[in-house]
Amino acid sequence: MSATRPQLPQEFVAAHKRRRMIDAMAALCAEQGYEATKIADVVRRAHVARKTLYDNFSGKEELFLTAFDTILADAETEVAEACDAIDPADWVARTEAGLRTLLEIVAAHPDAARLALVEAPAATPASAARYEAAIDGFIARLREAAPPGPGRPATLEEALVGGTVWIVQRQVRHGGAANAPNLLPELTEFVISPYRSVGKR
Amino acid sequence: MDRLPRGRHGLSPEFVARNQRDRLIAALIITLADVGYQKTTVSMIGRRAAVSKSDFYKHFDSKDECFLAAYDFAVGRIRSAAVDACSAVRSADWATRVRVGVVALLTLLAEEPALAAIVLAEGLRAGRGIYDRYQAAVESFVPLLREGAPDGPGGQPVPPATDEAVVGGVASLLSRRVIAGESADLTGLLPDVLEFVLTPHLGTEGARRIISAG
Repeated sequence: MSATRPQLPQEFVAAHKRRRMIDAMAALCAEQGYEATKIADVVRRAHVARKTLYDNFSGKEELFLTAFDTILADAETEVAEACDAIDPADWVARTEAGLRTLLEIVAAHPDAARLALVEAPAATPASAARYEAAIDGFIARLREAAPPGPGRPATLEEALVGGTVWIVQRQVRHGGAANAPNLLPELTEFVISPYRSVGKR
Repeated sequence: MDRLPRGRHGLSPEFVARNQRDRLIAALIITLADVGYQKTTVSMIGRRAAVSKSDFYKHFDSKDECFLAAYDFAVGRIRSAAVDACSAVRSADWATRVRVGVVALLTLLAEEPALAAIVLAEGLRAGRGIYDRYQAAVESFVPLLREGAPDGPGGQPVPPATDEAVVGGVASLLSRRVIAGESADLTGLLPDVLEFVLTPHLGTEGARRIISAG
């Protein structure tokens, strides 16, 4: 190593280590589930000192919850960018773009998808609550984006988000994350068809 | 959950054993609804079922094993409520059968909140093992929904994935209400659930016609 090589900034290293711990948590959960995953496994997989882990997280659950939040925030940012790139008037195209991005994220990050969609709902009461809150967020977003229509059921968006998550979750659970983008046509149709104006068959 | 009378009752040991097992399952379901999975103990189940701890272990190796049996029992009850209601109107058209099935489903869940809780709420938080059962239970409603279902409003067949998403969406909606402690109000969701389930096959107008015809 050259003596003149500049040192990486401290924050960069710290952020990188946090990221490694989160990725290790996701990979280990995918392999063996949350319950069987031990701090010792995470430390080994992430190549960090045990102390580093405890400097960043109070323990396994906080690391898991942080991983969940990070995965969700990353996905939300990407999905929002994809939607915003489309003309706001074209609701159908925006929905399709958002779904496509979500399915591509699932395909590109199967471990993260499994952590967020399969492990989080059952890992701990706190993770279940966060999972529910995330679903609430998606429901609110769909409700906000969807075109107005007469007499539409108040629970429509809950059922649509629930149904979409159900299908994607099943795909991830059965090891099919890589093929998630194939679900796009049917999921898009599922989400937009209830909003087609009444009378137009 | 009646206790068996003490003393001689002339019942065969097999029947008493069978009965004990059923009582333990019922006791677990009720206890779970009261205090949640984590806090439910073998002693609590035994006490409620009037079965000794040592007899508990003649039927189940652990709380988990009793829980799985209870989960299967609860799923069976819920499923047969819908299946029986549908077969009672076997000769009716598809939309009528679906309506009758959904009514039976929501009514049972509203009247038996402990069943709703174990299958749709508490059970899902009892660890990853149970999720396969939940998934299988939800998916078992898909063939029921598709049996004799008409093509979509545009004349094209409704893809299986649509009905799978519809069934998953309904399960998710019901689960959210049960988790929120609103089991008793589930029958109020009837028009919403019916519109959601019927629309892919009948279109919005067709679905609303069925709903308002009541």
